[in-house]
Amino acid sequence: MNTEQINAKNVSTKHISVKRYLPDSSAEPYWQQYELPVDDSTSLLDALNHIKEQLDSTLSYRWSCRMAICGSCGVMVNGIPKLGCKTFLRDYEGEIRIEPLSHFPVQRDLVVDMEIFLEHLAAVKPYLIDDNPVKAFDPQTPEPYQQSPEQLARYKQFANCINCGLCYSACPQFGLNPEFLGPAALTLAHRYNLDSRDHGKKQRMAELNRHEGVWSCTFVGFCSKVCPKHVDPAAAVNQGKVEAAKHTLIALFKG
Amino acid sequence: MDKSSSQRLPPLKRNWWLKHRFFKLYMLREATVLPLVFFTLCLIAGMVALLQGAESWQGWIAFMGSPIVLVLNLLALAASLFHAATFFVLFPRVMPLRIAGHSLPDQAIVAGQWAGVVAVALLFFWLFGRA
Repeated sequence: MNTEQINAKNVSTKHISVKRYLPDSSAEPYWQQYELPVDDSTSLLDALNHIKEQLDSTLSYRWSCRMAICGSCGVMVNGIPKLGCKTFLRDYEGEIRIEPLSHFPVQRDLVVDMEIFLEHLAAVKPYLIDDNPVKAFDPQTPEPYQQSPEQLARYKQFANCINCGLCYSACPQFGLNPEFLGPAALTLAHRYNLDSRDHGKKQRMAELNRHEGVWSCTFVGFCSKVCPKHVDPAAAVNQGKVEAAKHTLIALFKG
Repeated sequence: MDKSSSQRLPPLKRNWWLKHRFFKLYMLREATVLPLVFFTLCLIAGMVALLQGAESWQGWIAFMGSPIVLVLNLLALAASLFHAATFFVLFPRVMPLRIAGHSLPDQAIVAGQWAGVVAVALLFFWLFGRA
């Protein structure tokens, strides 16, 4: 089957409504409808690109890799956070409503301000901390860290996060209180805490154990449902609660 | 954080949970506490009645046998089973168990919890079935 035949399959016209916000011309957001040709392979990102190139160049949205790895093209599709490149219009009957990610301030159209998300990520020190290495690092003879497959397996799932922010839009606790560190940051903290090469758990625990840390999570679990990489942030955050409780108990006995 | 942009955030409305089926199910799981509070109050009332004497105890027995109380307590039973079913599935995600370096499959942990429920129920029937 050649490309033309594939493309000729199930070609139809679909309507998508996009929530527009153009602060230069109007203070209020409004809905705009677009009509475009789609086939079985049309992703939402393809559709947005088609609108931008053929129908309306004023539309703003973010994207980069087109292959569910950069995490830029997150939008709300019928009220559910999705990656544009991983969402196919063939799966939607009837109305398709596209909005910017929830719980983030909107800058323009589908572009949101993710500043607070990045701040929360930075707050949990998401990098290997090894204050007391067995041997001082020598750039002349660098030695790799040793890690067994079992040690890798402990945190691997939680290391698959692409920082797309979909989990923050799915999290009502973050919607109610943006100071809540939120699913991705807490998952990243847990990921490094589980890493055998890391010794920064003590430093991260102070952040995790705050009210705005793990304890603000009520395990709604929608973050894990929408995660495009199956990281299961809800599991990580709630494992963080067990760790935080242990940390508090141990600190209590140590005095 | 840029304060001016954060001020544009619309506050989440109280009915946020009505927007999606997933949130409604979550609220249902949380709401299972309501009939369970009623059941707990019934138990406390029973203990107070026991302390007060035979007449009060008989009154409590009659109260527990009334149709509306029976219906509410059946609802509490159903609610606790629903809560258990949802909670048991969450448990292995919160406390993944590892034996000799290998993680136990989720289904095994869930099955183990249900086995615990059956064991407690059997013990209950053995203790009270003889009376």
